[in-house]
Amino acid sequence: MRVILKTLLKNYLKIITKMVLFVHRPTVIAIAGSTNKNFVKQEIKKILREFNFSTRVNPKNFNTEIGLPLAILYLPSGYNEYQKWLPVIFKAPLKLFQKKFPKFLVLSLGTSDEGDMKYLLSIVKPDISIITDITQRYKEGFSDMNRLVNEYELLAQKTKKGGLIILNSDNYRVKEIGKNKEQRVLYYGFKEESDARIEKTEKNEKGQKIILRHQGEKREEQIYRFGKHHSYVLAIGHIIKKELKNNAEIR
Amino acid sequence: MFERTKNIKLSTIKEIELKAAQYPDAISLAQGIPDFDTPEFIKRRVERALKRGVVAKYSLSPGLPELRELIEESLAKDKMYYDWEKEVLVTAGSIEGITATIMAITNPGDEVIIPEPTYTSYREVINLAACKPIFVPLDEERGWGFNIEEYKKAITKNTKAIFYCNPNNPTGTIYSKEQLMELADLAKKNKLFLISDEVYKDFIYDQKSFFSLAQIPELRDRVIRIFSFSKAFAMTGWRIGYLHSDEKNIKEITKIHDSLVTCAPVISQYAAMGALEIEQEKVLEFCQKYKQRRDLICLRLEKLKHVFQFVTPDSAYYIFPKISLKLAKKIEKEKNINLTKEGGVDSWKFALWLLEETQVATVPGVAFGPNGEGHIRMSFGRKEEDINQAFDRLENLFNFQL
Repeated sequence: MRVILKTLLKNYLKIITKMVLFVHRPTVIAIAGSTNKNFVKQEIKKILREFNFSTRVNPKNFNTEIGLPLAILYLPSGYNEYQKWLPVIFKAPLKLFQKKFPKFLVLSLGTSDEGDMKYLLSIVKPDISIITDITQRYKEGFSDMNRLVNEYELLAQKTKKGGLIILNSDNYRVKEIGKNKEQRVLYYGFKEESDARIEKTEKNEKGQKIILRHQGEKREEQIYRFGKHHSYVLAIGHIIKKELKNNAEIR
Repeated sequence: MFERTKNIKLSTIKEIELKAAQYPDAISLAQGIPDFDTPEFIKRRVERALKRGVVAKYSLSPGLPELRELIEESLAKDKMYYDWEKEVLVTAGSIEGITATIMAITNPGDEVIIPEPTYTSYREVINLAACKPIFVPLDEERGWGFNIEEYKKAITKNTKAIFYCNPNNPTGTIYSKEQLMELADLAKKNKLFLISDEVYKDFIYDQKSFFSLAQIPELRDRVIRIFSFSKAFAMTGWRIGYLHSDEKNIKEITKIHDSLVTCAPVISQYAAMGALEIEQEKVLEFCQKYKQRRDLICLRLEKLKHVFQFVTPDSAYYIFPKISLKLAKKIEKEKNINLTKEGGVDSWKFALWLLEETQVATVPGVAFGPNGEGHIRMSFGRKEEDINQAFDRLENLFNFQL
């Protein structure tokens, strides 16, 4: 019974969400990868707000088959309580008529089993896709590493034509995904060939000083966070800023 | 034989619990265990992990990466910025974290300063590391606050660290930012580590503010902050916690952690992930309940003013009343028993007598350090019915029988 109800709910939310996305047509930025999704999401949200764009991001555990539609519709989860789902079911279609639907959706997409990404991409079609990292994390749901990588490969393939794929050049599995794509691909990382290249990071008392080279510009920035992953966050943020400034299509 | 263990005592709290277990109608206000069960959301997270078959193997020694990443996010909300990859270590409860820390930062013979009264096990861990605990009294007159002059006097060439519990167990005191900054200055000047055990930081009442020295980036190589999921999420049995500090400290502490436990229990690491993913509502709900219970226990203690004097706790779920010496002497005389020593109340004898007379278990204050003598610790982690029933018995004893 519980399984049947869950399936019904899942399909109902999917249909409503697709209709809502069709009506409001927000720009979708999808973030996937084994690590660092949330920090990247928060950075992009901050940048979009600096540009005065209305933005909605999904909370960290709202990135799967039911969580993602709920996040897009801005509805809470009823978790295991049936009565809590009733208002959610009722309110979902009303989102079709929402007056100020956000211009941008920044969504992390979670994949822990084969086919998860396919399902999520049957709901959203990203304008920009970012793949942060691929590690052994979540590998237990897949028979081998290639199948896990295929989930991310699918995200890149399903990114809108004319869209942008942003990849970590330091992770060879992620880097490979950029090959033979119709979409524009930009790389970030410490590697020489990166479009947004982190030249140097220097830890100090307050955080880190990062030297970043992007589109011929060299920037030195002090950030107040520690760890290599935050230099990646900074690099992705720079790519997004440039895109917002230079690419009218994504605005 | 047993040279290492000869100076280590079993916890007085456990000892009292064992004695209380002999009384069928005992009510324990002794152990600091929340009476709530672990929230459903956390249990479901664990069920999912079990079904996926991901809990049977060791994790990396510092802990599951996904948990450490969540910890970094959680710390950032409290304005503490640490790198999950190198600066966060998941431990088997806070006590394992404390043990690994003390073992890593000290050499045999070093001294560790502990403001007291404070949590009983600190002393044992320091002894275990062949170091010497140096007690610095907290000032009851100042609401159990620090007196920095006492620390200055206690520092010697052998001092390696100052180790405090904030909010403090058993007094429920929250140390102010000013007090902590004074301590930090002292630590910097004398090149000392500061170990901050903050397991009760989620239970703060009356909108009091809470500050941690781990929020000061300049102190990150000196401060080792310890946290546990036990209290905040009603997870004492899961034995899961974490600590964080600058990478150079964590690197050394991880070596000890690895040799002690290899890694924290993986099933509990998934529970901890559930705890961090959960909305803060549940923790706030617990906090609200504890506040009600604190107000209740204070109200009931007010009715026993001739027996106990107390400072209202701002945090945690303990109260640490002082036993009236005058009353203790009166009881001694009337009952022909011994409840005092060296002109003060013997808290151990008093707690045992109270247990015998009322079957209410409390912890003798001396268990928390010499300055705790003459007090008892009562926990209001228990249900309101238990608190009321315990105090009905105490009132019956002190107001009617004596």
